[in-house]
Amino acid sequence: MSEFAARNQVAIAGYAQSPVSRRSPMSLGALTIQTTREAIADAGLAVSDIDGFTTTPMFPSFGSHSAEDGVAFVTANWLAQHLGVIPRFMENPQGQLPAPVALAVNAIHAGAADYVVVHRALHNPVGRYHNSTEQEARGREQWGMPQGHFGPIAAIALAYNEYVQRYDVPENALASVVTEARKNGARLPWSYWADKPLSEEAYLAAPVINDPIRMFDCDIPVDAVATFVLTSAERARDLPHKPVYISSYTEMLPKRRLIPSLWPYDGIMEQGQQNVDQLCQRAGVSVEEIDYLQVYDGFAPLVYFWMELTGLCGPGEAHQMVSEGGIDSDRAGSPAVLASGGSLGNGRVHGTAQMLECYLQLSRRAGERQRDVNMAMACQGLPNSGGAVVYSSEKY
Amino acid sequence: MSVTDRPVPVPDASSAGYWEATARHELAIARCSACHGFTHPPDTVCIRCGSIEPRFTFEPVSGRGIVKSWTVVRQALLPGFEQDVPFLLVDVELSEQAGLRITGRLLDGVDTALKLGDKVQVDFEDIADGVACPAFRLATS
Repeated sequence: MSEFAARNQVAIAGYAQSPVSRRSPMSLGALTIQTTREAIADAGLAVSDIDGFTTTPMFPSFGSHSAEDGVAFVTANWLAQHLGVIPRFMENPQGQLPAPVALAVNAIHAGAADYVVVHRALHNPVGRYHNSTEQEARGREQWGMPQGHFGPIAAIALAYNEYVQRYDVPENALASVVTEARKNGARLPWSYWADKPLSEEAYLAAPVINDPIRMFDCDIPVDAVATFVLTSAERARDLPHKPVYISSYTEMLPKRRLIPSLWPYDGIMEQGQQNVDQLCQRAGVSVEEIDYLQVYDGFAPLVYFWMELTGLCGPGEAHQMVSEGGIDSDRAGSPAVLASGGSLGNGRVHGTAQMLECYLQLSRRAGERQRDVNMAMACQGLPNSGGAVVYSSEKY
Repeated sequence: MSVTDRPVPVPDASSAGYWEATARHELAIARCSACHGFTHPPDTVCIRCGSIEPRFTFEPVSGRGIVKSWTVVRQALLPGFEQDVPFLLVDVELSEQAGLRITGRLLDGVDTALKLGDKVQVDFEDIADGVACPAFRLATS
């Protein structure tokens, strides 16, 4: 297998994070324009310098909502048009955040664009997020909806219960995941949960949605935008901030087509392992050399799954490690895998929290959270259908 | 024949045989005519052997399986389930083939104690005139 030619050839040069709110006073499109202008300025550039745009425009709601570009999601095309730029490069891949990062890296390395904006805009629609009013189950939905099997919370509940039963996980173990994420999120000024940590009592007082998943095991839908500016490693050296190099990325597909909202635990872990192996192979490092890991937590059990896949502990052991304070961000030397606050501690920002935290640490812009780390991994989505990106503070 | 307000499946070329069988309270699963493996749901190609002409036929199966996981659904996110919540939803591996997974409500009741590997038998719920969907009951043997 040939070596990844773009390894460490592209860097993040700047960023901006919008406030995370339940209902932005601005339209999602306007919030995206504002955040992107801030990110471009942060990178020491002008809007006219930007010649590439990419995002994943996924609007991850199962509910019956209208979905309009610039309102419920924001495509690369919409953003370029509304910034008044005719770009050389513009793509809207499906999937999680690693997809547009991958496209930006390869486009810049190939010379298809010099300065690429990667943004992610998430919207909270009016009404219940995953509520369906469909009276007919067509296409894939015919295999679940008639029997009452619907939506991602049922899917994660089935996957997590399989894990719970197999490894004899104590009831309410996830409380320690969620309280850690909320503690970290409470310290972030932009977070929806800023200054609002969650006690275990409050966690347990919230309703169970699909046993054993409680309300706060699920991230809260929000309006939020994060934008990053990527350019070549060479150009990045002339810009104001310390570049953070992109060493590797992966994207995964479930191997088998299953009925909707069915994510069997074994499938998550088998392909998750391939995901992590491919990521490390492409980066040319072992997973132990990655000294700052930010795991995805759109649903709390995913924290356990990613921790076990990245070798922090053995299969079935993550719940114990977390409950014993093993990922406590206030404990010196601990793998603070939720330092970003994640989605549970920020709101449903769909993987941007992990990317942002890796960038802030490696660019030495993390303020009071700053640690002496040099190689970071941001996990996004499910291990078998999302992906991950490895970042480095130095070219190697 | 009970009638509910649940979402009704709209049979298509890939699924008509399945829903015709469930209407008769029979579980019939798509079987590839090239490799004879079962697939659920049927895809446009056979994901087991790669045939692009799988010519799936819907073959009756035993309806027996084991519980791989379960959850209690407590909120009606779909129309027609307001009277049914909370209910147990089970993820079942059918005995005919490893990895052949299908889901349905466990009709024994929401308080049924379950463990991984419990044996179940398919049953059916009539959800509209001439339309039934799979469900499960704990197997007695």
